[in-house]
Amino acid sequence: MKIIKLTALLIPVLFVTEANSQNFELGKVSNKELLEKFHPEDTTAVAAVLFKKAKTIFKYNLSRGFTVNHEYTYRIKIYKKEGLSWANFEVPHYVGYEDMNDESVKFSNVVTYNIEDGTVVKTKLNGEGSFKKNVNEYWNLATIAMPNVKVGSVIEFKYILKSENIVKFPVYDNQYDIPINYSEYITEIPEFFIYKPVLTGYVKVKSDSKFVNGSQSYEDQYKRTTNLSYKQINSSYITENIPAIKEEDYVDNIRNYRSSIQNELERTRFPEQPVKDYSITWEGVAKTIFENENFGKEINEQLYLIQDIKMILKNAVSNEEKLDIIFKFVQSKMNWNKENGYFTEKGVKQAYLDKTGNVAEINFILIAMLKLAGINANPVLISTVEHGVPAFPNRTVFNYVIAAADLDGKQILLDATHKYTTQNILPLNVLNWTGRLLKQDGTSQEVNLVPTMLSKVNYTLMTKFNNLGHITGKFRVQKMAYEAYSFREKNARQNEENYLEKLENNLEGILITDYSVENRDTDLSKPVIETFTFTSENHCEIIGGKMFIDPLLFFTLKKNPFVQEKRQMPIYFGYPKQEKYNINLEIPEGYLVESIPKSIKIATEDNVILFLINTQVEGNKIQIIITKEINASILSAEYYDDLKSFFQKIIDKQNEKIVLKKIEP
Amino acid sequence: MNFKYVSFLFLFFTSLIFAQKTEYNSLSISDSLKENANAVIRLNQIEILISSQRNMNVITKRVVTVLNEKGLDAIDAVENYDKRTTIRNIETTVYDAFGKEIKKFKRKDFKDQSAVGGSTLFSDNRYLYLDYTPIQYPFTIVFNSEIETSTTAFIPEWYPLNSYFVSVEKSILNVKYPDNLGFKKMEFNFSNFNIEKTLDTSTNLSYTATNILAQKQEDYSPVVNTIFPKLMMGLELFHLEGVDGYAKTWKEFGQWYSDKILLGTIDLPDETKMKVKALVGDEKDPIKKAKLIYNFVQQKVRYISIQVGIGGWKPMLASDVDRLGYGDCKALTNYTKALLDVVNVPSYYTILYGDRKKLNIQSEFVSMQGNHVILSIPNGDNYTWLECTSQDDPFGYQGIFTDDRKVLVIKPEGGEIVRTKLYEDKGNTQISKGSYTLTANGDFSGKITIVSGGSQYSQKASIENLQPTEKEAHYKDYWGHINNLKINKMSFSNDKDKINLTENLAVEAVKYGSFTSNKLIFAVNAFNKTNAYVKRIRNRKNSLEIQRGFFDEDDVNVILPTGFSVEYLPANYELSSKFGTYKTEIIKIDSSNVVYKRTLFIKKGLYSNEEYEEYRLFVEQISKNDNAKIILTPNL
Repeated sequence: MKIIKLTALLIPVLFVTEANSQNFELGKVSNKELLEKFHPEDTTAVAAVLFKKAKTIFKYNLSRGFTVNHEYTYRIKIYKKEGLSWANFEVPHYVGYEDMNDESVKFSNVVTYNIEDGTVVKTKLNGEGSFKKNVNEYWNLATIAMPNVKVGSVIEFKYILKSENIVKFPVYDNQYDIPINYSEYITEIPEFFIYKPVLTGYVKVKSDSKFVNGSQSYEDQYKRTTNLSYKQINSSYITENIPAIKEEDYVDNIRNYRSSIQNELERTRFPEQPVKDYSITWEGVAKTIFENENFGKEINEQLYLIQDIKMILKNAVSNEEKLDIIFKFVQSKMNWNKENGYFTEKGVKQAYLDKTGNVAEINFILIAMLKLAGINANPVLISTVEHGVPAFPNRTVFNYVIAAADLDGKQILLDATHKYTTQNILPLNVLNWTGRLLKQDGTSQEVNLVPTMLSKVNYTLMTKFNNLGHITGKFRVQKMAYEAYSFREKNARQNEENYLEKLENNLEGILITDYSVENRDTDLSKPVIETFTFTSENHCEIIGGKMFIDPLLFFTLKKNPFVQEKRQMPIYFGYPKQEKYNINLEIPEGYLVESIPKSIKIATEDNVILFLINTQVEGNKIQIIITKEINASILSAEYYDDLKSFFQKIIDKQNEKIVLKKIEP
Repeated sequence: MNFKYVSFLFLFFTSLIFAQKTEYNSLSISDSLKENANAVIRLNQIEILISSQRNMNVITKRVVTVLNEKGLDAIDAVENYDKRTTIRNIETTVYDAFGKEIKKFKRKDFKDQSAVGGSTLFSDNRYLYLDYTPIQYPFTIVFNSEIETSTTAFIPEWYPLNSYFVSVEKSILNVKYPDNLGFKKMEFNFSNFNIEKTLDTSTNLSYTATNILAQKQEDYSPVVNTIFPKLMMGLELFHLEGVDGYAKTWKEFGQWYSDKILLGTIDLPDETKMKVKALVGDEKDPIKKAKLIYNFVQQKVRYISIQVGIGGWKPMLASDVDRLGYGDCKALTNYTKALLDVVNVPSYYTILYGDRKKLNIQSEFVSMQGNHVILSIPNGDNYTWLECTSQDDPFGYQGIFTDDRKVLVIKPEGGEIVRTKLYEDKGNTQISKGSYTLTANGDFSGKITIVSGGSQYSQKASIENLQPTEKEAHYKDYWGHINNLKINKMSFSNDKDKINLTENLAVEAVKYGSFTSNKLIFAVNAFNKTNAYVKRIRNRKNSLEIQRGFFDEDDVNVILPTGFSVEYLPANYELSSKFGTYKTEIIKIDSSNVVYKRTLFIKKGLYSNEEYEEYRLFVEQISKNDNAKIILTPNL
């Protein structure tokens, strides 16, 4: 029954194999492949994977039980010098298991093919081109440097990655920054294991699976060869003509959009043993995680905190106050060792003693303290931006954990690992899609992490021009929510003189005096306010006796951030943002305003992106009010053209000058 | 309020009484040492004990007070090791601001990591490092280590100050050595710092540096090597990975290098020898022969970094490079040399510092130096230099990675210090010729041909090999001031004989000109705006160095839209200073044609810190004038 459920998860496409006439066996390189000068579909490709095939099979052995072998074969064509980097190939493998043997990698059939004077020349790799390196206690690296590779070469190799980790297979990369002509991934999984395959990316993968008989022999305890027969599920994933995927700006994580195939163990069901659930539903995931002693037990540990909590909450009355005190206490006491993860490592008690810990330790301490104070608090599992989108329920989609407190039905998200986070203001890489809130009773719910509230910045400028076009003025900026957070993260630890030097240069070389800043390191829930006095000689051009002034002065946007012609991936901003400028200009005596840009509103239909400029002249005073909004954290690629032209319109508008002319005597 | 104050004082006193390590107290650091500092080196004591030609111990005790997160790097709790170097001891202790011990780390707490990374595929080198998470600032950390090595070819250089934004309270160096190994030393840039030589005998040398204030990093500064104090040390009788050495002069050093390190590495299979001889044919001229060989190497091999053999100093065998088709700079240089030997062209293995900044081999101090290898071929009174790791560089071209610096040429009869090619300021050219048309809407379309030579060639040559999308991104960034830029055509020609790269581009952009009260305004210089933005620096301390000069010339025809008349044409402009000259001319040919001419010449040079502001203003004037605008009024 469960098998049916599994196949239903896949998109069953039958009769996909045997469709290709090309030879995907190692050693059979054709002259056509060797003579090809450029990739027929993508003439700019520096190299191409002519085929990549992988197979995951299970091996049985009496002492270690089932283990997996992942076999990979590649044929790669080099078209250009820049493609020669494909002649070096690295395979990292994990050696940091506590209760399993190290993974191993073995290369074989490593051959380079060239055509020299019309004949095919094969060069095999000897020992000297193969390197093994123990990188650190967790990772080893197997590397080959292919011999005699030049432009035009075809290279082939095979490697086997042996692993005892059956919980998660290595991710099968189904797309590179060079094209792949043919890709085939096959898994042969005994009926005792149920995996969930997850396909990511935009590329269409043909998949198929069959239920067949499987068997293998092993040596029993008396050294007799014994046969083990079972049913197995053979699945295949075939993709043809996969285009190269290229880096783009404003992307959260290219891995979310690159084609790949992942397999994670859902459950095991050995004969005469109860079915063991690893994951499958979010509830299953929640339960397995909670049952791990580095999670559930650690999060419920409280005794060590009782004394401190009594002390810090001595005078606190309301829950709001308590939450505020506890959060600030943990945030200032604990120091994050930059390690992610939702399991504790040395344990919360040791972490509390050391005042350092990983994400789980610090936020578990926070949760335990909140609970002790009578505030309902739960962990929220998260996948950070670098880790990718948590699209399907399984355990390895997460790599981070924060706290959610409940104050009279209002949910407050907290992360005490960073020094400048506040209530509902989380580190930027945590703002990734949704998290999973786990309750003590084993239930779970989805928590939206993407901010919907606009983070605002308000600039107010009172400036005055003299008849040489020099400006003096007062500057005040207020930064709120994520704008305040980003400012603090970037600048709070910076020496003021260095900061001002940078600021002066960012504002096109103005001179700053009387700088002051409020709420930079304290009162983190309040906006950051910077004020200063400035002078500048660079923001007015005098041409033919007239003064030309950029209405936005040093805020003038010079370059469109979106210049690329076509867009593949969604555009990522992080959080919705609103900038407001209130600029007041006093013009010099003896001049009057000849022209001034007209007020205008530019916006998309749904007002997701918006630009407003309002200009007004009263006597010798000009007021310009500008609002710029991108009311989204991420926009789909379809928005790209709109976005690009939106910025263009802003730039065009900003290029309209204020013109002052002399009053005729 | 008063009460709090008292308890604070009390705490302070108790810690003074009970803590043993009052010298690690962070509160006693003087204000001047804290200025601009993220960390203060309280003490950096290095003992170097050379017991024989084949044995050296280095004992380090470093006490660092870290003032904030940015100062963490100053702890530098790391030691390298390999087959010939062992770490005998490594440990740290952390103290709080009052000098009270808060944590101890033993050797087992250090992480062990391979030095392989980036482009290096293989290396024997590994290191132990401490990954410490501070729980408060300031704190003081004491790092103790001892390493033992058989390599005496490198005695660690002594840097009393070695990074920016870090001050030094005290730095001590004690060196002990037998009097029969020819110990030698040389001081660099000591004069502006408080450094005292306290002992100098035939077996002992000691220095003490005190109160060195934190330095700020500043753009356009000379290389750190010429600013920070440094002591170089060496032995005339030394040892490197199983090989003894003796060298008093560069001649002797070169001889040793030839005999012990390079010897026996240049044999080639007969088949290759024949192939190369056939390739050269009847050519007699050694440089022409070398050119054929260089081209052969460029087609055949690729660069990869593998650090093996005499600590990474011995090149891979030429026969291996021949078979495998790859190698690092040593291997590829040596291979090229082997091929040249076959056709009787003399050439020399040449050691230097490869860097965009011009770094010299310290010619007055004979020792193992350098980080890169190229090949030199005698050419009359001069040399032709070959970068053998590049598959694209023109024959004999040095670009900006190996130009104009002192290098060590290894000849069979001995070593010799030579200076590589200087690319003259006037020869680093970028000559642009083109035209553009402006429509009545302010839309822009134009064509430009840009020819770059000298050291400007090396900045441009790589564009040709970029992917189309990257090329497009490059131009959109290069001409970032032209919004809506569309690139309609691009083509390149690379003349490797003349060392000229020609870019041909056809571009367009809507709304290049903007309308303000009916008038069409646009910047006349569309194709070559100076991008050298020189930052304002408060209280500049370092001298100003312009490492390479250049010369740009632009000649652009501007075709104006019909139906407009010129209301304003920027005046001709000329600016001249010790840094160079700048000149623009705008010539109105007729009602619809304007010619724009621009030359910019910047000289290389070294100037004082006060002159930095002058330079900044010079560049600012240029960039203002590069923005000069034409105003057109519609005809009524």
